[in-house]
Amino acid sequence: MSPTIVMYITQALHGLAYGMLLFLVSSGLTLIFGMMGILNLAHASFFMLSAYFSYSFLQVTGSFWLTLLLAPVAAGIFGVLVERFLLRKVHARGHIAELLLTVGIMLVILELVKIFWGTESQIIPIPPALNGLINLFGLEYPLYRLFIIALSVAILGFMALILFCTRLGKIVRAAVSDAEMLDALGVNTSLVFMLVFGIGTWLAGVAGVAVAPILTVFPGMADQMGMDAFVVVVVGGLGSLTGAFMVSLMLGELNAFGIQFIPKLAPVLMFAFMAIFLCFKPTGLLGERE
Amino acid sequence: MSTRIKRGLAWGGALIFLILLPQMLAINHINTVVQFAIDAAFAVSLNLLLGYGGLLSFGHAMFFGVGAYATALSLTHIPGLPLLMVVGLGGLAGALLALAFSPLLARVSGTAFAMLTLAFGQLLYVFCLKYREITRGEDGIGGYPIPPFRIPGVLTVDMAVPQHFYYFAMTILFLSIGAMWFFTKTPFGSVLVGIRDNPRRIDYLGFKVPHTKAALLIFSGAVAGLVGSIYALLHNLVSVDGVLSIFASFNPIVMAYVGGLGSFFGPILGSGLIHGLNEITSRYVRYVDLINGLVFIGMVLFAPGGVVGIYRAAREKWLQRKLSRGKGEKIL
Repeated sequence: MSPTIVMYITQALHGLAYGMLLFLVSSGLTLIFGMMGILNLAHASFFMLSAYFSYSFLQVTGSFWLTLLLAPVAAGIFGVLVERFLLRKVHARGHIAELLLTVGIMLVILELVKIFWGTESQIIPIPPALNGLINLFGLEYPLYRLFIIALSVAILGFMALILFCTRLGKIVRAAVSDAEMLDALGVNTSLVFMLVFGIGTWLAGVAGVAVAPILTVFPGMADQMGMDAFVVVVVGGLGSLTGAFMVSLMLGELNAFGIQFIPKLAPVLMFAFMAIFLCFKPTGLLGERE
Repeated sequence: MSTRIKRGLAWGGALIFLILLPQMLAINHINTVVQFAIDAAFAVSLNLLLGYGGLLSFGHAMFFGVGAYATALSLTHIPGLPLLMVVGLGGLAGALLALAFSPLLARVSGTAFAMLTLAFGQLLYVFCLKYREITRGEDGIGGYPIPPFRIPGVLTVDMAVPQHFYYFAMTILFLSIGAMWFFTKTPFGSVLVGIRDNPRRIDYLGFKVPHTKAALLIFSGAVAGLVGSIYALLHNLVSVDGVLSIFASFNPIVMAYVGGLGSFFGPILGSGLIHGLNEITSRYVRYVDLINGLVFIGMVLFAPGGVVGIYRAAREKWLQRKLSRGKGEKIL
């Protein structure tokens, strides 16, 4: 293959890996938005927190696979506690109080992380089984990034199965579209809220652990992912999973090729993308609400 | 004594206290007081949006930031610019930025407004971080000359002396807080409160809701830019993380909320409280921001009206008790 084609395919795969990770984070964000009507500003903090958990678990257990299982669950449990004991208390007082509370939670998580793990970057090695390059039809590509793509596809397939083929999934989708009506029908919506919040933070946690060996673990690691996920949710249409999926992949590719061709403008590109998009379609790609 | 005389005396006392303050304090403490006044004025300008207009802005630092950058850049590149014009440029930059974003921002409210301001604020942050040729990114612009305050033929005041700068900065900040106070008392301010409480009804009454919100945004942005300009003059250093980062936007929110969003003076009280808390906690523990965050969460959970809200509730209870006791005596 000619070097140009190799470059295009490599960047496309990089974009795909980032897009899939982005969707893991933003799917939880968009579900939580659909239910509660707020964008959880602390969402990316759980992503970071899970990466830190993985760092500590890895030191204790020494097994990457066990860490991949445990760290996101720990983040998810933390998310459930936050929903149960903090967010639920101010839910009745409206969106502004909830948004402010998520800001407070974000600040506190950031400071706690700095206290427990310090501010310097922690390095997590790529597990030996996934280290190295793999030959894809004459194209050398890092195996770990392929693993990220595969892991994301597997988890998302599983989640889609639950969401679209089970009774629980039906209830969650109903909660996203109209929580009050669902409550009136006799479903315990508080429990559904808590569950979805927990699963959302768990998904962000999986992304956090998966990205940790590539990005290294530091307090600001969630900054870009957080903003990107936020753009995805807004552009994809608030509360729309399919929209979030499409925009995640678009942004992933935009990011990968942006860095390749116009490195300086790449971070601004996605905001420009959002601004232009919202000018033409204020509800987002597949959204019905503002 | 009537309340009017009492109030006048309190104001006069506060004014005399502020005038005498630099004579009593060490130089670094003088700058702390100016920093407090900057935070207070910034928090009040945010509260104009949040407390009066019901618009939660997560990107208010962008107006503050462009004001600071306008000042730093103009002082670096244009020699001999008079001081007041530099400060005016800061305000103008904030107002122009607000004007540019207002067509999009004025149409939305609630969560959408918060998210759009967050996005624009971050956009500006990343933009300034990447365009190092102009903004020098994380290092920031520093070491620009601070011009003296000059009325031609009358007097020249050197701003390098902290006491002199104190009086200049405090006058500007005091006047901008006064302007905001006046703003809330005009019929226009009442329309804003109406929009916060019931936008549809205000629309039916014949007021133009988006235009009103845009005007509020521009006014608030102008004041934030002005305050940012004073910040640039005080620190002689403007960097993206100092004036444009998301934490620069969260800071005034925390201060305004702790003080009390429902009142005009709440944010001033809040920034005083946060400053005082930081002074105390930084002596004993390293985790000042953690304590601020926990205080903020506690306030959101248990005291939605802030300190002013607690005071009002306590006073109401006290008055009610007095009233019921009075009634009881009559019945007996």
